[in-house]
Amino acid sequence: MFRLFSASKPSSLAQQLAAVGLFSTLSLRELKIVSALIHERQALAGEIVFDEGEEGQAIYIVFSGEIMICHQGKTESPIAMAGPGRIFGELALIDGGPRSAQARASTDCELGVMFRGDFDNLMESHATIAAKISFQLARHYAGIIRHLASGPAK
Amino acid sequence: MIDRRYQPGPLVWLAILASTCLLLMMFQKVLWLVVPFLFALIAYYLVLPLKQRLVLAGVSHDLAAIAVSLGILLVLGLVMLFSAPWLTIQMSALQAGGGRYLEGGLRFLADTLNWMESSFSFAARAQLADEVMARVNDFSEHFASRYAASAAMMVAVWFPSLLLIPFLAFFMLRDGWRFKRMLSRAVPNAFFERTLFLLDQIDRTARGYFQGLIKLTALDALCLALGLWFIGVSSPLLLGLLTAILAWIPYVGSIGGCLLVVLVAATDYPGNPSVAYAAITLFIAVRLLDDFLFMPMTIGKSLKMHPLLTVLMIFAGGAVAGIAGLVLVLPVLGIVMVFGETLGAVLSDPRLRARHRFARGLLQEKVTADLRG
Repeated sequence: MFRLFSASKPSSLAQQLAAVGLFSTLSLRELKIVSALIHERQALAGEIVFDEGEEGQAIYIVFSGEIMICHQGKTESPIAMAGPGRIFGELALIDGGPRSAQARASTDCELGVMFRGDFDNLMESHATIAAKISFQLARHYAGIIRHLASGPAK
Repeated sequence: MIDRRYQPGPLVWLAILASTCLLLMMFQKVLWLVVPFLFALIAYYLVLPLKQRLVLAGVSHDLAAIAVSLGILLVLGLVMLFSAPWLTIQMSALQAGGGRYLEGGLRFLADTLNWMESSFSFAARAQLADEVMARVNDFSEHFASRYAASAAMMVAVWFPSLLLIPFLAFFMLRDGWRFKRMLSRAVPNAFFERTLFLLDQIDRTARGYFQGLIKLTALDALCLALGLWFIGVSSPLLLGLLTAILAWIPYVGSIGGCLLVVLVAATDYPGNPSVAYAAITLFIAVRLLDDFLFMPMTIGKSLKMHPLLTVLMIFAGGAVAGIAGLVLVLPVLGIVMVFGETLGAVLSDPRLRARHRFARGLLQEKVTADLRG
């Protein structure tokens, strides 16, 4: 559910972040900077990470395990599954608006959390890193839009 | 679902105000720790942006804290070294002229009272000048015997605790982020995002307040120094700075600052009371600028408090914890307000509480799975 002290070192966290698409264009030094902003969390299988409609304050990164994205109360028909290296709740980074779906752990998970306020600070103090992350986020959305656009034709 | 437009109800507000008063009462008991902590907090928020820049440039937190602390010490040392001759002259002038300034102030007071007696019959009937001057003389004659010993004791008690300031500021700079991390790790997943938001808001409120306070002091000091220099009062920069720092204590500090300015102006121009009146006018003008322009631009922005609540709480702070209460009430109220509002939003949300109970159930199931056989 939660833990008081973390055993993992920042360097290993930076290595884990390097495998995440959102941070794949960052250098090792930049990854170390970003890793200082990441909160490590654990979720048990079945645990809700966030609810649909909840005010989004953070973006999540899956380090291990699997997260199911679904509409509230419709766990039998998930919208998407997010495995290691994937991100979810990314809309919060852009507008902080209400969550469009529920995130629930399918298996025991290790997650990274980046708070929106920390990302805002990063944009002010370290614009290059923030720009690289934002560009990767835009690519991520371009992929989703392409996928949706090509969906009905198949 | 969490309501984004959560507004605290009367009970939450009552709890916020009661907690603020309770904290102030507690702080008054450990003032020897609270005052150095407060100054350390001001120093911490003042140099925090420097440390953050170093951290974001890839330097570790520990190294960045050490580098910033050494840098500040070096700068302070250089400033002390170069300003020592000027400061020595100013201090010796102040020491030599202390009695002179007091005499000048008393002369100004006597002149003003005599003028009032000659202008207003009620003042003459009440023998205002004789009455007030007799009390002032009694106070100044017995000042040493009544207050000097306790003042010396107070200095002896306070000096060691003031030495804590640089140590506290250094450890806040070095380990503050670890403390925040430790707090956030202890929070259950269901409340995590909300708590992260709470910690961020508290941090922003405190940072905004203390950085605003420094900006406000600089603006006040600059305006007063310029005005006093224009009038022709001696040591305008030192006087402006002292008065601006005294203004940290609401009301009482401002009155003390005004008296200080009048004492110096009345002594510098003994036969010309118009300079002292000009100094008073300048002081009032700067206070008005402070209240209606500088304060909303600096501190007011960070606290986002209703003006009526601000004034009432300043009086309540003074009643509960004296001068310490006057100084501490606004930052304490600001932080308690953010804490209370967010705690109210989290704890009054049945969905979050249900999610937390559900997660605890999952953990219970997991750790007892093999026990059920």
